[in-house]
Amino acid sequence: MAYCGWYGKTLRVNLKSRAVFEEQIGQDILTGWLGGRGLGACIVDAEVPARCDALGPENKLVFASGPLTGMNIPGVSRFSASAKSPLTGTLIDSNAGGTWGLMLKRSGYDALIVEGESSEPVYLKIDDGHAEICPAGDLWGKDTKQSSVMIQKSLGRGSSVASIGPAGENLVKYASIIIDGSHALGRGGLGAVMGAKKLKAVAVRGSKKVKAADPEKLEFYVYEAVKWLKANPITSQGLPEFGTAVLVNLFNEMGVFPARNFQSSQFPGARGISGEAISETLTPMRRGCYRCPVKCKRLVKSKDGITRGPEYESVWALGPQCGIGSLDVIVAANNLCNLMGIDTISTGVTIGCAMELEEKGLFQTGLRFGDEEGLLRVIAQIAYREGTGSLMAEGSRYLAEKCGAPSLAMQVKGLELPAYDPRGLQGMGLSFATSNRGGCHMRAYMAGPEALGVPKMVDRFSTGGKAGLVITQQNINAALDSLIVCRFINLAVTEEYFARIFSAATGFECQSQDLHHIGERIWNLERLYNLRAGLDSSFDTLPPRLLKEPVLHGPSRGVVVDLDPMMSEYYRFRGWSANGLPSSSKLKELSLEDALC
Amino acid sequence: MLKEFQRTGSDLFLTGLNSSHSGNLSVRFGDRILVTRRGSMLGHLEQRDLIETGLHKNDSKIILASTEIGVHRAIYKGTSALAIVHAHPVHATALSLQDNEIIPIDSEGAYLLHKIPVLSAEHTIGSRELEERLPYLLREYKVVMVRGHGSFAVGQVLEEAYQYTSSLENVCRIVWLTRVLKGDVEKNSEKYKNW
Repeated sequence: MAYCGWYGKTLRVNLKSRAVFEEQIGQDILTGWLGGRGLGACIVDAEVPARCDALGPENKLVFASGPLTGMNIPGVSRFSASAKSPLTGTLIDSNAGGTWGLMLKRSGYDALIVEGESSEPVYLKIDDGHAEICPAGDLWGKDTKQSSVMIQKSLGRGSSVASIGPAGENLVKYASIIIDGSHALGRGGLGAVMGAKKLKAVAVRGSKKVKAADPEKLEFYVYEAVKWLKANPITSQGLPEFGTAVLVNLFNEMGVFPARNFQSSQFPGARGISGEAISETLTPMRRGCYRCPVKCKRLVKSKDGITRGPEYESVWALGPQCGIGSLDVIVAANNLCNLMGIDTISTGVTIGCAMELEEKGLFQTGLRFGDEEGLLRVIAQIAYREGTGSLMAEGSRYLAEKCGAPSLAMQVKGLELPAYDPRGLQGMGLSFATSNRGGCHMRAYMAGPEALGVPKMVDRFSTGGKAGLVITQQNINAALDSLIVCRFINLAVTEEYFARIFSAATGFECQSQDLHHIGERIWNLERLYNLRAGLDSSFDTLPPRLLKEPVLHGPSRGVVVDLDPMMSEYYRFRGWSANGLPSSSKLKELSLEDALC
Repeated sequence: MLKEFQRTGSDLFLTGLNSSHSGNLSVRFGDRILVTRRGSMLGHLEQRDLIETGLHKNDSKIILASTEIGVHRAIYKGTSALAIVHAHPVHATALSLQDNEIIPIDSEGAYLLHKIPVLSAEHTIGSRELEERLPYLLREYKVVMVRGHGSFAVGQVLEEAYQYTSSLENVCRIVWLTRVLKGDVEKNSEKYKNW
């Protein structure tokens, strides 16, 4: 039986040979890995040597939609990109909203695999299934907005463009890919992978309709899901009214809002950069992804014109992390990062690290905490690798090591930490340390149970039982990242709904427990790849500051992350050895015997 | 204020008027509301479970507030209530699925509540429809049943709203029992049909 939701086809593009061809994907692959992150991991694991140079020709970039993409379901129009990360050396994936994933799906492909390197700048055009490699000499050097506009003019109405900016071209290790000048595949340096391949952009447009296996049932499940989205204050009021920056005041009051390179866990000027302040002062216009009623995105008026409003993480990284409390500066810095195509989190954390190094006399670049002009200046220097910006373009880990103070880099596995101080959220600490892509909050969104009461409120300072909770969240989120469901939608609509929605959409019977199993399989595959890449259990840790320096003030005062007991419980719970190696019985259980270390 | 919430929440749970995580409580003070956290256990309320947010205006705390925050706000805006108890009393909920209004047949219930309207809505949780319709009914009645969902009771303080909730459930148990007994019921209560 052929399932709905997938085409069973990938498009493979070799930039060196200029070959473009379609390939079939077996149904067992699609039902086993779903799409998005899972399918990306499966392909990268099979085709990209784990020890290869992430910026070399052996690395491949896999763009994948999910089986639900394109259907009339809120929160699933997303797509993901996967590769070996130049920043972390791990298998990395990042997903984004907008309409690019929808267009890829409507082009008739489940995934696009880009391999090889071009000798000249090119961009890839996929118009209703017809792919063409086009010269991009005139686009090279342009920012992400300019290149999107230029390509969209050429391809026409309805197209969507994923483009890199100068940062990607200059191989900044945390360069992002920006979609239509707005949405971002932010983390892990996927923009640099594109830059290394001299691939400026991928533009897609498609018109194929995506059919559901049981439209009537799907309509009912979606109706029920939307009911919850409308009922839940997070998705019906908080996010629509204030955007993701709704979290600023809340987390600052809890003492989990880091500032000045995690030297404190509260920021005195938080109120002035909060979601409330953005709503009151910048008169934002709401924007959202395809079929999403939440509309958490913002366009704001700034001195640079109408720009994308900063998300919670960006507000923090370009604000308190650098000791900055000016909303205007944060908006400008956020806009600059998007135009240059660099990840706001890694940029802000690396700059904050540089500021502390400077403060301690270990780095001379003239940057001080609170230096607003310096922030904007150095973002451009990073993107163009000018002066000390070139050192910062390698990421905080490299910078701090070069300056002789590796402990000052707030990163895990090379990926800069996001806007949560894990000393006040112990489970979040474990999730950072064990995340397969490095310091990431989205793998097991522990702010849910530890701060927002989703699914239930747990004691945020306790370590007891956190390992199991983190694992459950990591597993289910791996599956939901493969469907690909927006994490915010999942705050109101549980995986049980998405299992039903998935079954009705594809005809492939699936219960929530099956999603947990698929997610665990994805997690272990990613782990195996990372082990092959040389990332053993010594990488499953946190910056020493979070383990040894107690918070000095506020509600988290006196606390450090008590990682060791959670970590040993975590490995046991996962069915891994004390050294973090998946056991043969676990691999057998997950049908991963062939993916050996 | 925490003690008042704890006492009411605990009683509601222990007397079976709410299940472990159901129901919510709030009080109004000026243009602010103190409401229980979404998903909190009323039988075991702690300080972190009381969420303060605006009556007219949202702030970041809204993402922690009870799912019924919209209904609570609408009731405060549309009535003189200063406290609200939302519960899921079992007998009252069952009766609401059978009857279009609940008429007390016992003395205390008739004296205190006169009649309990039953409101039907397509969506009953965090519902815009309830936000529009409940305040009108609660201007006249102390407690209203939402069909198949639960009760909303108002008062000047939490204890008063709790009393109406408790009384409602008693009324419904008595109605239920008399129906089971299948005997003749004193008809004095009929006059309350036109209340």
